[in-house]
Amino acid sequence: MILPPLRYLRPGSVGDAVHWLTHIDGAIVLAGGQTLVNALKLDLVAPTALVDIHRLDELRSIAVSPDRTLTIGAATTYAALAASTDVRLTAPSVASMAAGLVDRQVRNRGTIGGNVCLNDPTNNFPPLLVALGARFTVLGPEGTRTIDADDFFVGTMTTALGNGELLVSIEIPPLPRGARLVHRHLQVGADSWAMARAVVRIDDDNGVVVASRVVVGAVLGSPQRLRLVERALVGLPTGGDLDGAAAEAFDRESIETVGDVHCSADYRRQMSKVQLRRALRDLAKGTPS
Amino acid sequence: MTQPQDEMLPISVTVDGRLETGQVSSRTLLVHWLRDDLDKRGPKIGCDTGNCGACTIRWDGLLVKSCMVLAAQADDTRVETAASLAHDDGSLNDLQACFKEHHGLQCGYCTSGMLMTATDLLESGEEITEHSVRRGLKGNICRCTGYENIVRAVRAAAGHDVEKPHGAAEEVAS
Ligand SMILES: Cc1cc2nc3c(=O)[nH]c(=O)nc-3n(C[C@H](O)[C@H](O)[C@H](O)COP(=O)(O)OP(=O)(O)OC[C@H]3O[C@@H](n4cnc5c(N)ncnc54)[C@H](O)[C@@H]3O)c2cc1C
Ligand code: FES
Ligand code: FES
Repeated sequence: MILPPLRYLRPGSVGDAVHWLTHIDGAIVLAGGQTLVNALKLDLVAPTALVDIHRLDELRSIAVSPDRTLTIGAATTYAALAASTDVRLTAPSVASMAAGLVDRQVRNRGTIGGNVCLNDPTNNFPPLLVALGARFTVLGPEGTRTIDADDFFVGTMTTALGNGELLVSIEIPPLPRGARLVHRHLQVGADSWAMARAVVRIDDDNGVVVASRVVVGAVLGSPQRLRLVERALVGLPTGGDLDGAAAEAFDRESIETVGDVHCSADYRRQMSKVQLRRALRDLAKGTPS
Repeated sequence: MTQPQDEMLPISVTVDGRLETGQVSSRTLLVHWLRDDLDKRGPKIGCDTGNCGACTIRWDGLLVKSCMVLAAQADDTRVETAASLAHDDGSLNDLQACFKEHHGLQCGYCTSGMLMTATDLLESGEEITEHSVRRGLKGNICRCTGYENIVRAVRAAAGHDVEKPHGAAEEVAS
């Protein structure tokens, strides 16, 4: 038996889950368990109880509203996202990200809610959801609140979730007309951990960039918006030298990286730039997200 | 903070078609319950970190790594291990026979996991190509074979005409 002592609780509803999370000191959510169970084995976390949400149908729904906003339950697995026609049609980047995560087994268990609540710098979804301008609906002892992606991710492995709060769903607004998004990654192997990650979105109006979101992952404090790069792109013709403008602005950004077994901190920083430039070139070529 | 407590929970799980019941600690992993309490040796413990896939089973029809599931989570569900693959009389199914014929194993430690993942891939209806097999088996690590013969075995099971491994002897029924 290699896990530390803990209680296992399976709530029958989202309300019960929040009740336990609020009233049991040290209780935390168990979603897909694809990180949490391993963290427990290594004594990296020491909860008193696990509140298992993976069987709550309320948290596994996928819905599209008439204005094409996509709402995804927090416990929806990567496999379910990749297989959903609704997701493929309204947010193809979410479907392709899910389809390229880890492996068949992990895709059947890992959840989009667990991915963002963990907010590991190498995780796939945080930068993408920032670029998409997603909103996070959270239920806690004080009721429901909705948090913008920019405020949800507050730092390395940290989110805005407070004690007793449960992420219920993620809302992805439709991209405005003319907007395009590309995600690019340098991975250890196919479908594997990222050494560098960049997501670029440009909103085009009559051939001019009117807004942009440029987000890198796999850096300290991920996901990080590169505001200087974003500003450098706005106002340029969509078909212009976005790549050059972005490369110049990137060098003025303050980006902190760390080295690990896969690469040095400096390499990781350089590769962030390379992924960003490749994403912009993909956009110029009209490669779909 | 309150002192963490351990509890014993009753579970009943259909394993390889048979209903199994037991009492498990809230911190027992499914792979440990299957191996230690039920003596189901299909799922192996390789890495214990979710990387190697040796512990792969199907859980309510979904391919998962059983070292990242609590036994308590499996209450009232269905589990299939590699022991469910052979025919009722114990003879090998097509995929297993292809692993044998194409030398898709050496020490055999990864094999039951490989067979579970390959079964899932073959039944998924996805197109079977060299690339899709390699990608499909990404969650299963083999330290012996170099994968070449495993990929061939899976392709052969999908009906591809695959070259036999070096030195393979033809078995001819007389
Ligand atoms: C071999 C391997 C390789 C991997 N490689 C990658 C990779 O390349 N990229 C990647 O993105 N991920 C990777 N992962 C991690 C995987 O995607 C995890 O599934 C994910 O990070 C966490 O999701 P989960 O559903 O498993 O959450 P869990 O592990 O169950 O939970 C993670 C954390 O989030 C909290 N939590 C979960 N859901 C909620 C909720 N609804 N409300 C509040 N808190 C919640 C939990 O309390 C816990 O702290 C890998 C995992 C494995 C095993
Ligand atoms: S033992 Fe489960 S993945 Fe290696
Ligand atoms: S045959 Fe030995 S690990 Fe695969």
